[in-house]
Amino acid sequence: MKPEEVGLTAQEYDEIVRQLGRTPNDLELGLFGALWSEHCSYKSSKSALALLPHAGPAVVTGPGGNAGVVRLEGEWLVAFKVESHNHPSYVEPVQGAATGVGGIIRDVVAMGARPIALLDSLRFGEDAPSQRLLDGVVEGVGNYGNSIGVPTVGGEVYFAPAYAQNPLVNVMCVGLLRQAHLMSASGARVGSGVYLIGQPTGRDGIHGASLLASQDFTAEAEAVESMRPTVQVGDPFTGKLLMEATLAAIATGGVEAAQDLGAAGLTSASAELAYRSGVGMELDLDGVPLRESAMTPYEIMLSETQERMLLVVPDDQLGAVRAAVAHWDLTLHRIGRVIAPDVLRVRWHGQVVAELPPTVLSGGCPIRPLDRTAGQEVVRTASPAVASPDLDEALILKVLAHPDCRDRAYIYRRYDWMIQTRTVFGPEHDVAVLQLRETAAGLTLAISGPGRWAAADAWAGGAGAVARAVLGVMLQDSEPMGMTDGINCGNPDRPAVYGQFRRLVEGIADAASAFGVPVTGGNVSFHNETEGRAIWPTGIVGVVGRHPHPSRPWADRVRVPGWRLVLLNPAPRPDLGGSVLAHALGQLGRYPAPPLEALAATYPRIQATLRALAPEGFAVRAILDGGLLLALAKLTLLFTDVGVRVKLSDDDPVARLFSEEVGQVVVALAPDQLSRFAQQAEQAGVSWMELGETVEDPVVELAAGSGRWRLRRDQLRQAWQTYVHG
Amino acid sequence: MKAAVVTFPGSNCDEDTVIALERLGVEPVRRWYKDTDLGGAEWVILPGGFSYGDYLRSGALAARAPIMDAVEQLVARDQLHVLGICNGFQILCERGLLPGALRANRDGKFRCTWEGVRVASAPSAWPGFQVGQSFRLPIAHREGAFTVSEQELDRLFQEGTVFLQYCDREGRVVDEAANPNGSMGAVAGLARGRVMGLMPHPERAVSQFLGSEDGLEFLRLWLQGR
Repeated sequence: MKPEEVGLTAQEYDEIVRQLGRTPNDLELGLFGALWSEHCSYKSSKSALALLPHAGPAVVTGPGGNAGVVRLEGEWLVAFKVESHNHPSYVEPVQGAATGVGGIIRDVVAMGARPIALLDSLRFGEDAPSQRLLDGVVEGVGNYGNSIGVPTVGGEVYFAPAYAQNPLVNVMCVGLLRQAHLMSASGARVGSGVYLIGQPTGRDGIHGASLLASQDFTAEAEAVESMRPTVQVGDPFTGKLLMEATLAAIATGGVEAAQDLGAAGLTSASAELAYRSGVGMELDLDGVPLRESAMTPYEIMLSETQERMLLVVPDDQLGAVRAAVAHWDLTLHRIGRVIAPDVLRVRWHGQVVAELPPTVLSGGCPIRPLDRTAGQEVVRTASPAVASPDLDEALILKVLAHPDCRDRAYIYRRYDWMIQTRTVFGPEHDVAVLQLRETAAGLTLAISGPGRWAAADAWAGGAGAVARAVLGVMLQDSEPMGMTDGINCGNPDRPAVYGQFRRLVEGIADAASAFGVPVTGGNVSFHNETEGRAIWPTGIVGVVGRHPHPSRPWADRVRVPGWRLVLLNPAPRPDLGGSVLAHALGQLGRYPAPPLEALAATYPRIQATLRALAPEGFAVRAILDGGLLLALAKLTLLFTDVGVRVKLSDDDPVARLFSEEVGQVVVALAPDQLSRFAQQAEQAGVSWMELGETVEDPVVELAAGSGRWRLRRDQLRQAWQTYVHG
Repeated sequence: MKAAVVTFPGSNCDEDTVIALERLGVEPVRRWYKDTDLGGAEWVILPGGFSYGDYLRSGALAARAPIMDAVEQLVARDQLHVLGICNGFQILCERGLLPGALRANRDGKFRCTWEGVRVASAPSAWPGFQVGQSFRLPIAHREGAFTVSEQELDRLFQEGTVFLQYCDREGRVVDEAANPNGSMGAVAGLARGRVMGLMPHPERAVSQFLGSEDGLEFLRLWLQGR
């Protein structure tokens, strides 16, 4: 076999020979192909990811494990991570998305946590084939999440031609666990048995990591066809049994380490577990239950059959663990044992067929050094400022009807978002709020990453995504505990793409540092590129916050007329760059770089100002996609029976209404709260401007200069809820 | 008072159901599908979920589980009040303990939304439910379109087996074209003897902050059956 058949370069092959001191056999080469792939080794991204801050007061487990873990309250911890399944979802949308959900759920389960929430972040093109992809992806996310019983409580979806042949499917899973049940992949001790539970292993998904996820697509339809066998099939029914069996096994206290089998299957799970535990491992492949006959060691080691978990159990704990697993109709299959020397020894039919040091397999892949010059040209390229068009009704309706703004109910009503009965704020809100029975504190979950904001300046997009998600959490009176990042870019071997990647990561890192919110784990997906056309650099940020009063969330809707409307922290000179309006006009421009230090100082002041008000006396929303106008509409008539009357004194009302500069907040105040608000805001040093008031009729009335506009709710709703689908 | 909650492989609303019963001061008895008795309970809930992954037909395999023999025997002896929720309703229909079948929703898609339901006939075994009484409850299913022959549907209405129908916010029944899943006769739930089944999830509507407390009231009335 040649190195390129398993996705390795000639240089990497030479490096393998050098580190081993011999040439690998074909099976060993296959194992290297998987573990030294971009997907498993992070060889192009690791040096940039080192820029991310990982420390914080709530952090229990940072990056490197199956998921990050933060402390919520007392003995209760939260495990969470975002992961992508982009390439499989393009090749086979239903199964690709479903297995993506299954995979991130198992990562959280492998930490010992019960999954309690999913959030999905999706990107598609604007053409008809993309609509079919969207339909399939939503079907797949729903099939798996609904069936396994984990609610999809939030998400986001954006559209642009850049994603047409490279849709993005990133899913974040959040789980809850007791400290005593916290697992890691580093707990394996010499002498313990290695066990496999779940699906019997078949020939599905071989080369998923090395060939499908780590290469660009070509334009030929046959090429996509030919990749279809590398996509796995999801079985949420077995996934549910596996989840329960794993959690029950961990609850016995008899499991030393757990590792789910995802990309590169048994190879990655065993080598990673041994490497992180600083031990070796002997595997006997004759113990692996197979779905098909006559599978070769190569196929068994690289199969990506879903719904499998590796457990390390010492002999004296075996009885209890076996019984816990058996209750859920699964069998514990012994496939090896933990040994002291640094070797992964694979036996098959009594013969040693591979013998490799985990330190070389998992730790030996050469890492691309950080290139600090790449990406500078992106910053230097000036994008023309977006000129404001004339304001009229059609313009307003155009923004509301834009796919990036419109009502997402056509997606989320296909998800079970309320199972487990914790969902206080579900997917129709900007953030999710969960009430937990286990703790007084609840969770606020935000996910964000508009590619529009990163298209011209990846740094601004990365920083903006963090600033937006952190603000969403803080506007629920919550404290951000940690974040996870899903980085999606094109081919990193192209300097321009690598530059975008580095700037995107720097933007996330700078913002995470400025806000003091640690990154506890995440995912990098490269090669989102077809025929040299890469996606917009897209950094998806998920923030987990501690909510002090989840059963009484801060309102984000107003139901009464006569409340005063104010804009907190208004942009001094609102800029349309990167906004939905700019996107709709076909002149995207450049999203203004978020002033991180100023925002980091302002957010707590905004929170303190709101905290001083009567809880029933205000409602609050951040300005997001669609700008101030959509925020006002969502605050009122899109969800309630009152309207708004707004008078703008800006020279450029269009920029004021549609700019998406992060950090701006709309608040509606009961009349008796206004003076207290003004006093608090002044004390805290938060700038604000008056906008108007809520009115009895469900209309939007705008006045700016000599212009007057009036839109009825039915007009706005019709625009906002016009679906291509459903 | 002891109420059993049965877990089939693939059930996923069992935990929520147990929690709702505890809220009502009832002692829940957890039963596994392999059990051959209900542990002395005179009340049983078959919860929602995807038993056996819904792989053959929703509820078809669970209907043949050992625990269902025990349920059927106690029902035949009038010693058990049964409530099937969502997948549990499908299991009751598959077992023949309730008539009809639940087919794929009109648009073929899973749907999770808040809906109104209205009591169409007061079930004889549950005097607490009043005709015209309405509840706001969530649905979450792909196969919830109640289906029988036209003659059978007429008969079910006449004999008072149609217990719940989908309704709008004003309590008006919404027809087949407008109800959330395309159910014939807008049927959302049935009750015959001491066996009740419905597609909506009362166990999810247990707090105002979750959207409604109507489910708690619904379960309270169910527990008052005679």
